[in-house]
Amino acid sequence: MRRGRARIAVDRALGRAFTRLPLLGRLWARTASVRTSARIPWTPFATPVAACRAALITTGGVHLRRDAPFDMRDPHGDPTFREIPAATAVTDFRITHDYYDHRDADRDVNIVFPLERFRELVERQALAGLTARHWSFMGHIDGPLVRTLETVTIPALLARLDDDRPDFVFLVPA
Amino acid sequence: MGLIQRAIEASGIATVSVSMLREATAKLGLPRSVFVRWPFGHALGEPFNRAQQLTVIRNALAALYAPAPGALVTLPYRWRRERYTELKDWVLGPGSGAG
Repeated sequence: MRRGRARIAVDRALGRAFTRLPLLGRLWARTASVRTSARIPWTPFATPVAACRAALITTGGVHLRRDAPFDMRDPHGDPTFREIPAATAVTDFRITHDYYDHRDADRDVNIVFPLERFRELVERQALAGLTARHWSFMGHIDGPLVRTLETVTIPALLARLDDDRPDFVFLVPA
Repeated sequence: MGLIQRAIEASGIATVSVSMLREATAKLGLPRSVFVRWPFGHALGEPFNRAQQLTVIRNALAALYAPAPGALVTLPYRWRRERYTELKDWVLGPGSGAG
């Protein structure tokens, strides 16, 4: 099933309302089905940040202008991810995501994907470095696509992280 | 985003996230996160406010050293009613996230 024009307009309006009125978002979250997990995964961490290489992940729908935008027609979202080279100029980014108001993030991508801030940390030697590539998702994924995310997308991401070997991953939502 | 974070952590890489939904984050059970009560689409703050963005990042990096799984640190900053200054101390390591 594809989202029609009217549905897209409604979703965009809702996205803007959620952004302007955070209380709406919190009420939504209270009713949304979130899995409760008894066991929290844990990797002990003791390396000073100055000795670490970091990888960044955003779910803000950020992608390179030359890459395919996230699919906004499927009402369940788009479970794929986009690769973002560490050296990308911020002017090369675009955001495709109808479920939040990204007009501010369009002006300064760092509020959902802080690549420039992390480059500054490397310059001032607060951080040893960044991995050569970073990752972006479109955070609105539900219905049958959650399973795709878990069985296809996440394993593909883990294989890439296993190649890149960051010391930690920093995740930012929309 | 929570599913992604949990999977990465379970694969053996430490993770930290910014959360905009405190209850959902607590329920899902994420290894380490810092919560900001700000509008969606503004996890690190306002556009071009470097000091604000770096403040959130520094808090999140400190949370990497949290002593136990499920660390969810509520940051005290109010939306548009704080003055941020450029942070100088970026030495972060074991002990930074003990609070």
